[in-house]
Formats: sequence, structure tokens, C-alpha cells
Amino acid sequence: MRKPVRNWRSLRRMANTIIDSGGGEEIELKEEDAKYFEKLVAERRAKLALGTVEDYLRMLEKMRELEASGEIMVHHVEEDYEPVSVRTLSGRTKKVPTVDTWQHKSCGQCGHIPGYVTSLFWIMRELGIPFIDDTNQTSCTAWNYYGSGTSNTVALSSVFLRNMHVAYEKNAYPLIHCGTSYGDYKECRFLVVMSRDIRERVRNILKKVDRDLVIPEELVHYSEWLHVMRSRIAEKRKYDVSGITAAVHAACHTYKLMAEDYTYDDSVMGGVKPAPTTSVALALGAKVADYSTWYDCCGFGFRHILTEREVSRSFAYFRKIQPVVREAKADVLLVHDTGCVTTFDKSQFVFHAHGYKESVPVISDSQFAALTMGAHPFIVCQLQWHLADWRPLLTKMGIDWEKAQSEYKSYLEGIKKGGRPEFIRSPPRKLAPRVKT
Amino acid sequence: MSSEDSVLIVGGGPAGLRAAVDLAEMGFNVVLVERRAELGGAPIRWKYHTLAPDMRPTEEVMSPLIDACKSNQRIKVYTSSVASSFSGSPGEFSVEVKGADGSSSTHRVGAIIVATGFEHFDARVDPRYAYGRAPDVIGINELEGMLRSGKIVRHDGSTPRRIGFVFCVGSRDRSTNPWCCTVCCGVSIKQAIELRRLLPDSQIYMIYMDIRTWGLWEKLYWDSMEKYGINYIRGRVGEVYYTGEKLLVKGEDTLVRGPIEVLFDMLVLAVGMEPGEGTRQAARVFGLNLNEYGFLKPRQPNIHFDSGVGGVFLAGACVAPMSIEEALEEGSAAAMQAAKVLIRSSKQRVPI
Amino acid sequence: MVDGPETHSAKRDDESKEKGKFIVERDYIEPTRIVEPSSLTAEGVDISGRWGTIVLPRTINEFDTSIYERVKRLPGGSHIANCWQCGNCSAICPVAHEHPEFNPRYLIHIVKMGYTSEIERLKDSVYLCSGCGLCSSVCPRGVDPQHVMIALSLAFHAKGVL
Repeated sequence: MRKPVRNWRSLRRMANTIIDSGGGEEIELKEEDAKYFEKLVAERRAKLALGTVEDYLRMLEKMRELEASGEIMVHHVEEDYEPVSVRTLSGRTKKVPTVDTWQHKSCGQCGHIPGYVTSLFWIMRELGIPFIDDTNQTSCTAWNYYGSGTSNTVALSSVFLRNMHVAYEKNAYPLIHCGTSYGDYKECRFLVVMSRDIRERVRNILKKVDRDLVIPEELVHYSEWLHVMRSRIAEKRKYDVSGITAAVHAACHTYKLMAEDYTYDDSVMGGVKPAPTTSVALALGAKVADYSTWYDCCGFGFRHILTEREVSRSFAYFRKIQPVVREAKADVLLVHDTGCVTTFDKSQFVFHAHGYKESVPVISDSQFAALTMGAHPFIVCQLQWHLADWRPLLTKMGIDWEKAQSEYKSYLEGIKKGGRPEFIRSPPRKLAPRVKT
Repeated sequence: MSSEDSVLIVGGGPAGLRAAVDLAEMGFNVVLVERRAELGGAPIRWKYHTLAPDMRPTEEVMSPLIDACKSNQRIKVYTSSVASSFSGSPGEFSVEVKGADGSSSTHRVGAIIVATGFEHFDARVDPRYAYGRAPDVIGINELEGMLRSGKIVRHDGSTPRRIGFVFCVGSRDRSTNPWCCTVCCGVSIKQAIELRRLLPDSQIYMIYMDIRTWGLWEKLYWDSMEKYGINYIRGRVGEVYYTGEKLLVKGEDTLVRGPIEVLFDMLVLAVGMEPGEGTRQAARVFGLNLNEYGFLKPRQPNIHFDSGVGGVFLAGACVAPMSIEEALEEGSAAAMQAAKVLIRSSKQRVPI
Repeated sequence: MVDGPETHSAKRDDESKEKGKFIVERDYIEPTRIVEPSSLTAEGVDISGRWGTIVLPRTINEFDTSIYERVKRLPGGSHIANCWQCGNCSAICPVAHEHPEFNPRYLIHIVKMGYTSEIERLKDSVYLCSGCGLCSSVCPRGVDPQHVMIALSLAFHAKGVL
């Protein structure tokens, strides 16, 4: 395990070691060296988030101290959760729970692209993995954080810990679907641990709703769960997607907020770009193509979608959709956050009306995985909610979408006549407490 | 043990060679220690085609010095060797020289000149330029070799049409090296002119923050625009992305306040200068001070040759980034200081 | 800066402000980039006006040097390559003090770089030059901006930009 980089000087020293060991006479252009340097700088860039990598590691250390002194409780990723370890940008190893997860859903996701979350649930059921889809979850309210400034640190942190406590009392580990919730929670956790003042104010609020201060040991995004489950998912694939070229858009709120804590993997994109989603597409057998604006936002931007949505949609189209089609020649754009899918998918039609030709279907990694595993495109993956034309993608994957469409129509007819939805059924609300070994 | 040795010089680049030849011609014996297998320093190692500002072939400047060192009986050359330990006082130092082959010799000398030079910045350290990952991104040091061969080609053998020079790579940047290398503007412009002579149909763009062609080198800058039609874009490159065919350069033209994303066939990085391992090693052996950047630190910044250690003098780009013309002058200046010590020292005979 | 009773360019500003006026942060966007369709449908649904409004990107991605090459061959324009953008011409230009759109330094730059959209936007301003010649008297590189402005107007015509 590489130690986190202290400052640019030590980074230079590490770099010099590499160069000097090469003999110095001629600089050989080795691709792996370049990647290594790129990683060093990416780690340095991680320091530009809230505090430095050292601050982040200090925060985790302080969390353990607060737990030891009895000031807080920590929800640990116990062995019962069957965790898988991943490397984060900071170099630290992170434990990703795989079973008994508490599904922290996303407002925009359920509202705009319901197939996103149903696909994830479907995959978990296919793999026989228990989880809780709790109705007692609230929005993280981080919309306020970005949109209007009406909220504040203490309120956001209280909502965060309120949700975390609900998961804790139900013996499940929080798995956060929304990139914004995930990023917001990581920042809130940092502040709650590092500031006694915030911590005490949050504790008082939680007392009023009869809850304790329980901080999760790890904050985990669902894309990280898919990442660690990718080979088990790939084992169950039904369709050959080797002819599919995917482009991946990583969500800003997952890997740019508290950047040091998101998953990277040396075998994916050279370890210099976030691993999840790309890794899932690769594991399923698809090709992943790079494009020049991969680092850019989808255009949503939170503030921008509220105040200048015309700019949001234009940015999405000119800055992302066009390069994805022209450079990556992608059959599909895979995304792992709510706002990104919505912005990409629901912006394209305006440009097509203006006469622009580039078009690409936009779905989440969970939808792509579920489709490949044979999930129903409409009953499970709910592609009927997507605006950009997904038909060419399904045809290329070998899925008979016309047949699926007529199945879906009769399924709807059945529901109209009083039938129960075959997929959406009451999930368990609480898991049995685990016996400590 | 060789009691006739008078001055030990560490580093066989422009400054060290100049000092060696000057001292030998004054009648002193010289021990010249060079870390690498070849004399000549960076200009020879990187096969510099010509030197700024008047595009004189490198050999015209360097060969007479190298030949003089090799042929002058007063100069003993130890290549693939380093000074490994040092003791004594001005006028009577004892220095051990170790060779890469395991050989070792001890030299009694009156004065020491440290002229360990610099290294070109390794642009892989700053990944925004895609150096080492994308083809057709090269350094100015590597372009010199291409210019010497007279063949400017892309990785697939085709001739580049639109070529960009990116200034201040690994210079004036807090995340890599914060100093200015002083010569890369002039060298890049010299190369751009040479490229235009070789490829008259090419379009050449210089992406710069400031042009620092100090003194009489300014003429290069003027000529590049007035005679060779070379274009200048003020700004700094944010990212280089290889499209699989060409290099997409993302930057801002700060004169129009607008982002630009333009395709280039070839990019030349004006890589800066930084202290190398030779300098660090010499500092350890002779107990010299390093400044905050790792260059050798003179006792006061205006007098480069004064290392602060009596009888040990500094010269050339190990003190600060500089041109070859300056390094040659510093070699002579350090030789003068060494001669002063030797003449004052009672143990040394006074030369004619 | 001299305070006047009113701003005379106010009327023209009003016209360009009509386009996309519903965008909350409209002030940050140049009017030329806003496309607000008066009539547009998507699959039979009317998306005219706000629903169909898009904002064109402002990234420059091509150098079109054809006008530059023409200017260099025209009398008066032969020294344009010498320009190093010091701004001495604009500093002394009496017209530039009155008209923000007229900036000889900037006009020379966009022509040299071949930024066609900027040329398109500012092509008319070249006629604001009064030909006083102060710029040419102070230019340290002998660019002769006074006559470059004439060459520019000729090149814009020949190119069909106007």
C-alpha cells in the first residue's frame, strides 16, 4: 500500500527516485511511469478538497478516538456485512459491505429515472443478497446546500446522522444511491468529527427525535458496491455485450467531493480515473472508450439547473453528448448518479429539434448490468422513462425490445384490472440482529 | 597520490570545461571529474543541434573545449567518476575520486570548482501534458536531436503541419518547479525558426505566459514574428488529450478571454531546468548549502562563485538556471578565483 | 471617464436583451450565443421560445488564417505579423476611448489567430477608425495599425464577411 503523499516536495523526491534509477542518460518514455506520475498528481489534487489527505486520515483517526472515549458510536463494517476491500484515491483501503445493506435512495433518481433503483434491487435479488428498502428514509436535503443556501451545516449533519441511525437500528449498512447525498455525507461526517461545536449541536437535535450519534465507519456509494460485485454480476450475464462500446461519465459529487475517499483500481483506466462503472462495463465484456471531456460536469451543476437550465442542457449536449458520440463513438453513456442521467437523457431532444444529429442513450450502470443479466427492459429497467433513443442499443445487445414492449403492455393491463406488480413488492423493513462471534 | 594536481573540477559541461582549459592555459594542473561517460554536459548528451541566439552549431562552441581537455597534458580527465570524499583546507585539500568501475584515486589539490550543471525537467511529472503517454508530445531537448537529423516526423512517419510549443513546462508552477529556467523562451523560439526553415508549410504556435528573451536574445523573438510568421498565443495549457490521431490542446487565449481547444499534430514542451543528482551528491561531499529549490547556494546571491566554503567555488547551472554563454563565463570566473587561492598558497609554485 | 446625461447605446442593448430574457442569470451570457426559436416542435409538441432555447458554446476550436493571409498581402497590412499585442495602439487611440468595440490591438489579434466568430462580431467596428495615425506613431514594432485597419476593412469585404 502506497503511503499518502505529504506535499509536492516529497512527491518530487519520489519522482526523482524513479528518474534516477533509470540511469539518467536517456529518458525512456514508459507508459507505466507516466501513469504512476499521473497518480501522484491526482493524489496531490485530492488535497484540494475539504482539507488535505492527511486531514482526512486524521479525521478517521479522531473518529476512532471519539469512539474509544465513548463520545460517539461508530457503525463498523463488520465481517457480517461480507466486506470487500478497495483502494481509494488517498491510498487508504476502504471496506465496502456487500450484504445487508440499507438502501439510501435518491430523490431525483426515483422521480426521474426509477429504473435506476429498481435495477439495483433486481440485481441484489438475482444474486440472493438481502437488503432493506426502508420507507423511513428522508431526503438528505443537500439540495439546499447547493440550490438556495437555506440550509446549514448543523441541519444537514443532523439529517445525515438521522438517516444513518435509522439504518443502524435496523441492523443494515447504509448504501447511498445518490452522488450528492454521498458527497454531502462525507463532508458532514468530516465536520461532525472535527468540530466539537457542530457535534454537540447535532447531538442535541438528534436527542429531540430520540436518536443517538452513530457515525458509519465507511460511507459507501452504490457504484462502489457494483464495482466490488462486478465479477459475480458478470457470471450471471445473459447477453453478449462485447460489441457494445460504452462511454462513462463519473459524477462530480461522487469523486470530486472528498475526492480522497472514492474507489480507484490500478487495473481500471490505469488507476488514474475512478474505477466504478468503468469496471462494471469491462467486467460485463463491453468496451469502454475515452473522450476528451470525461472530467467535465454533465451540465446539471445544481445551481445552474435552477438558474439557467438553458445553459445546463446546452453544456450537456455540446460538451458531453457530442464528444461522446464523435470521439468515443459510444453506443451508450453509462452514468452513476441521478442528476447526470437526467441532464444527459432529457436534454437531447431539444437539440434534435434544432437539427443536431448526435444522440446516445443514457442509462445507469445498474440498468446496464441488469439488462445484460436479462432483466426486463420495461418492468425492471423502466427504459420507457428514458427520452434518448435506447432502441438501437437494445437491438445491438440482442434484446427483443418489441416483444418486451408488448409484454409490458399486457402487464400494465393486468395491473389496471387489479393485479399486483410482480416486481415491486414489500421488502423487509428490518433485518434480524446479527450474532456477534 | 599526485602532488602536482592543483585544481579539482567536478562536472565536465560548459562551465567545468571552460574552467579546466583556462586553468591549464594559466599553467595549473587540473583534475576533471565527470559523472557520465562523456565530456560536454547537457549540450552533448542531448545532441543540441545549434545554440541560441545565433544558431551556431553546438560543436563550434563545445568541441574546442572538449578537445583541449583531452589533449592538454595538464588536464587529467576522470569520466564515469565522482568525487566521493574531501578533507583539508584551502591550498591543501585531499579529494578521493571513485570510478564506476570500482577504481579509486586520491588527489591533493589547492582549490575545487563545482560545476555539476542541471537536468531537464521530466515532463511525466506533470501529467497534464500527456508526455510519455500520448505520441508526438516531445521536449525541447528531444527536438534538438530531430533538428540535427533534419527530419521532423510524427510517430507514424508523417510530417507535422501544425506544431505547438508549450512554454514553462515544469517551470513557474508551484506544483512542480516554481522558478524560471531563463533560457527556454529563447531556445524554443530558436527551434521554431529552425522548424519553419525545414518545414515552410507548417503553422507554428507558441503558447506562452511571458516571453523572456533577455538582452540581445530579443532579436530571436522579433525575427520569429517578422521574418518567420510564427504565432503567439498568450495562455497556459490546461490539458493535452490524444484523440487517437491528433493532440487536442485545451487552453485559454488570455488576450480574448476565451477557452480554446485546438488540434495539433505535434507539441514541443519547453521543459525547464532543475538540479540533478550530481549536484546533490557534490553538495553532500563538499558540505555545500542548497537553496530552497535544491540549487547550490552561494554565500550571497550576487556572487555565484563564492560557495561559502573556503577554496571551493561554484560555476554554471548548478547555481541557477542559465544559458551556455553564461555558464562559460562562470567557468572562467571560478577559474580566476581558484588561481587566486593557488597563487596565495605557499605550497604552490607561482606560474609564469 | 466623463459622465453624460444618458447612455446612447442603451437602445441597442435593449434589443439584444430581449433574447432569452427569462434566463435568471442572463447577464452572464453574450446575446450572440443565445438561440431562442420563434417556432420549433419536437415530435409534434411546441417547444418554441423558452423550452427550445439553447446556448451555443464559446470555445474556439479552429484557427482560420485565410483573412490573415489576405491582410498580409494588402498594402498597409504587410507588417501585421510584427504585432506582439502590447496595446500601445489602443492606449493612445482616441476612438477606443469613446467606443468599447473599437480596439485596434484586439482586432489585429483576432485576425492573426483567425477567430472567425469574434471577427464576425466586431467586423463593423473597423470603420470607427478615424485614421489619425497616432497608433502608428507609437507602435514599437512598426506594425502601422492605422493602415492595418484599412487593410482589415478590405480583407473583410473580399472574404465576404460583411
